[in-house]
Amino acid sequence: MKKLLGGFTLAIGCIVAGQAFAEYPTKNVDMIVPFSAGGGNDTFVRALQPLVEEQLDTTLVIRNIAGGGGAVGMSRAVASPADGYTLLAASNAMLTLEAMGTVPFTHDDFDFIAKLIEEPYLIAVSSESPYQDIESLVEAAQSGSVRVGASGVGSSAHIAANAIANRTESTFNLIPYPGGSEAMSAAMGGHVEAVVLGGAELRSALESGRLKALATTYAERSDSLPDVPTFQESGYDLTLTVWRGIAGPKGLPDEVKKEWVAAIQQIVEDGSYEQTANNLGTELAPLYGDELEAFIDESAATMREAAGDLAN
Amino acid sequence: MTQRDIGKPLFNVVLIIVSASVFVAASAFPDVNIPGDLSAAFFPKFLSGLIFILAIPCLIKDFQEWRKGGQAVSSSSISLVRGASQWLFVILLLIAYVYAFERLGYMISTALFTFSCVVGLTVLSGTWGTLSTAVKSKALAGALVFSVVLAVTIFYVFTDLFKIPLPT
Amino acid sequence: MISGYLDGLGMVLQLSTLLAIAGGTLLGIVMGALPGLTSAMAIALLLPVTFGMPPVAGIGMLLGALCGAGASGSIPAILLNIPGTPSSVATTFDGFPMAQKGEAGRALGLAIVASFFGGVASMVILSLLAPPIAEFALRFGPAEYFSLSIFGLVIIASVAGKSLLKGLIAGMIGFLVSTIGTDPITGVGRFTFNELSLLTGVNLLPALIGLFAVSQVLKDTFEYDPNERLKESGHRIDIARPRFIETLKHWKAVMMGVISGSIVGPIPGAGGSIASLVAYDQTRRFSKTPEKFGTGHAPGIVSVESANNALLGGALIPTLALGIPGEAATAVLLGGLMIQGITPGPLLFADQSGTVYGIFLAYLLANVFMLLIMCLGIKLFIRVLMVPRKQLLAAILVFCFIGVYGVDGDVFNLYLMLGFGVLGYFLNRYNFGTAPVILGLILGPIAESNLRRGLQSFEGDWTPFFTRPISVAFLIVAIGLLALTLWQNYRSNQQSTPAGDDSV
Repeated sequence: MKKLLGGFTLAIGCIVAGQAFAEYPTKNVDMIVPFSAGGGNDTFVRALQPLVEEQLDTTLVIRNIAGGGGAVGMSRAVASPADGYTLLAASNAMLTLEAMGTVPFTHDDFDFIAKLIEEPYLIAVSSESPYQDIESLVEAAQSGSVRVGASGVGSSAHIAANAIANRTESTFNLIPYPGGSEAMSAAMGGHVEAVVLGGAELRSALESGRLKALATTYAERSDSLPDVPTFQESGYDLTLTVWRGIAGPKGLPDEVKKEWVAAIQQIVEDGSYEQTANNLGTELAPLYGDELEAFIDESAATMREAAGDLAN
Repeated sequence: MTQRDIGKPLFNVVLIIVSASVFVAASAFPDVNIPGDLSAAFFPKFLSGLIFILAIPCLIKDFQEWRKGGQAVSSSSISLVRGASQWLFVILLLIAYVYAFERLGYMISTALFTFSCVVGLTVLSGTWGTLSTAVKSKALAGALVFSVVLAVTIFYVFTDLFKIPLPT
Repeated sequence: MISGYLDGLGMVLQLSTLLAIAGGTLLGIVMGALPGLTSAMAIALLLPVTFGMPPVAGIGMLLGALCGAGASGSIPAILLNIPGTPSSVATTFDGFPMAQKGEAGRALGLAIVASFFGGVASMVILSLLAPPIAEFALRFGPAEYFSLSIFGLVIIASVAGKSLLKGLIAGMIGFLVSTIGTDPITGVGRFTFNELSLLTGVNLLPALIGLFAVSQVLKDTFEYDPNERLKESGHRIDIARPRFIETLKHWKAVMMGVISGSIVGPIPGAGGSIASLVAYDQTRRFSKTPEKFGTGHAPGIVSVESANNALLGGALIPTLALGIPGEAATAVLLGGLMIQGITPGPLLFADQSGTVYGIFLAYLLANVFMLLIMCLGIKLFIRVLMVPRKQLLAAILVFCFIGVYGVDGDVFNLYLMLGFGVLGYFLNRYNFGTAPVILGLILGPIAESNLRRGLQSFEGDWTPFFTRPISVAFLIVAIGLLALTLWQNYRSNQQSTPAGDDSV
């Protein structure tokens, strides 16, 4: 009798467990955005939200847990149960914090589901600037000091600017602004000679012709900015990308990953997100599974190197 | 009616102590050399120093005023005790509420907080003793209904309408 | 341009567009009236909804939320002395005293109409003058920002209350608190106590709600006396109606609000929070009866509220003309524009398709809907004051809690709010005041980081702060105003010394 009962519960357990997985998601999924509403990370997820909700047939609850340059939201995500109901809108910021050594977690504490979009870092000058190509800017920065604005001290753009200075052997008087908008208006108003920012933030300023991008940190020229040379082709060994994707705490069930990857693949395939991504100044660059893991590890190493003397 | 409040000069003492310790703490900030920069410690030291200096004349003035106040005004001592106990009660309740907010979840902690707040104020303000048993139970029921309705309404408005997730 | 407006009109005058704008406005009003919830959150919430809509309808909806939240912040400020956003701090100065006199309905009526006038005027300015104003805002470098913040800090003197010295101390406390977090120039952690939540500094909203709302509730609990019920029934509902004529009588205050909203509002990162305080300060200085301010004086409410909605138009100027959002709400709005494929920039204003005119008209309509909804709601808002004291106190605390939690989902902010509540209680009790603290908190980081950023980019040279024209102009005006305040204080002290007693 006991055996029978045991077998019975086991069977029920299996059914329940099987169903639980087959039916993921059975409830709302919390998506932690570790920044306030309005940033690149937030807009990326909110644009994705209706598409994912349709694919997964659930409600995506976006939780802006800001603070500490993303540290608060990310550490909350690490501490959440790895059941697939608490996920994180991940980006470089995680690797930046790791490289700066200010947070108690690393990218190994996360399971990455997918990378979705990418954007380059661009170095841009005012359209009225005397430096209209990267060579003349670097030349000026090698003979004297050039003021370069970036967003937030310790932000990934700040680190990218530092890496550019190191690789081009220039002296940048690196001036941190509280955010991208302040840095851009400083460049437009001639208060700094150049800015280093992500492509999405710079997009409208570039399109309207107020700022001019001199070089991109992509390995190859991008489709959206075909006239902007890469650092590589100018002879500087520098490749950095801003990426955004979805991650969860370490130990996500395979079913969860599978469901999400399938959903995102579907969204990528039917092209419903591509236009939005392009409008936002980003490019669709999906990556999943082992390739993604290798990419993240590589990016982390690059960031650590780029942070260099800035890290504490 | 001048209330003789020793807190008024004492608050300046607190300011002086805090600003002095802030000054000391700021002196220990690591020095990062950026050409032209004033250093990270400059403003905290400047401000705490200024607060320290400005708080001294305030202390002197408030202390003299307190001494001149002579005998404490006793007419309001009952309402003073009542006020202080109500004040302290609400602060302690608030701390408990923050502590319980994510542990018990929004719904239970909010209902408990509202209920205890309303009932607690009734008791502490001295109305409770004057009420008959029937009125007492009616008041309790009223507070209960109020707290449950408030908690539930807010929950649905925030989570469904505003899509602001609350801990459950 | 006329044909552009006609095209735009065609886009706006569709039932679905009108409904979208009205819906956005309503949501903005509801969220703006709750402490802690901001227009940025309302816009972010609506963002996914607008994706499928045509551009003018989608953007109109977002503008409606912006406009509604900008106006409804006055409701809790007037009725309960609780400003939900930094820009409604100044509304409490005269709005709450007027409400305490039993004229809450009048205060609301003035606030609503002034908001409407401010919004409409700023829409006109936005559509005509956006490009030149945006160019002006670009001339603000570190030196200009620093001088602007000094100019703003002088306002402390006029909101300080009875003791200028204590007001100054309160302002410095706020300034000092603002230095908590990662240093903006060197990246060194300052007073962070290894707390992740403090890395980016003290969040403004928990501080604001603690200093104003929680401290006010604590004061009310201290004074709570069950025997004093009668006071509550003194509110007159019959006077609760929009006050067009009375607002127009104070046209100078409206103008002052519109001017400071349109000039200070467009300056990225600084304008939004202080434009209404600047308007209050200037209206009071130019008034023939400055002593009436702070006692429930109508021009005080009118100038602040017209500035409050004028600054929204002001904040839209750099957003639309340069693609530079000044603060969170316009940043989310910019995201919405970009998703719709609308690229902000000077070209947008030269665009012949009529979309930009449609957006202007949508913003105008949002103001009209705001006026209508608020007028319909005005008698309802007043009823908040009929709630019995105990229940009201508990409910306010719950709303503050959830509002602050909703900002970032961070429990640490709740403790912060409590701490500021207790601090604010004592600051008020001992005549330091809480408004200077907020000014210090908002302007402190601007002053510090721009002074240091300026020194860094001028390589240690101080002279640009005194030689750049805009910068030196702000400094001179600031010094002049300070001298004037000191002189006025001295004069009034001399007159009132016989009866002098600064204890409350």
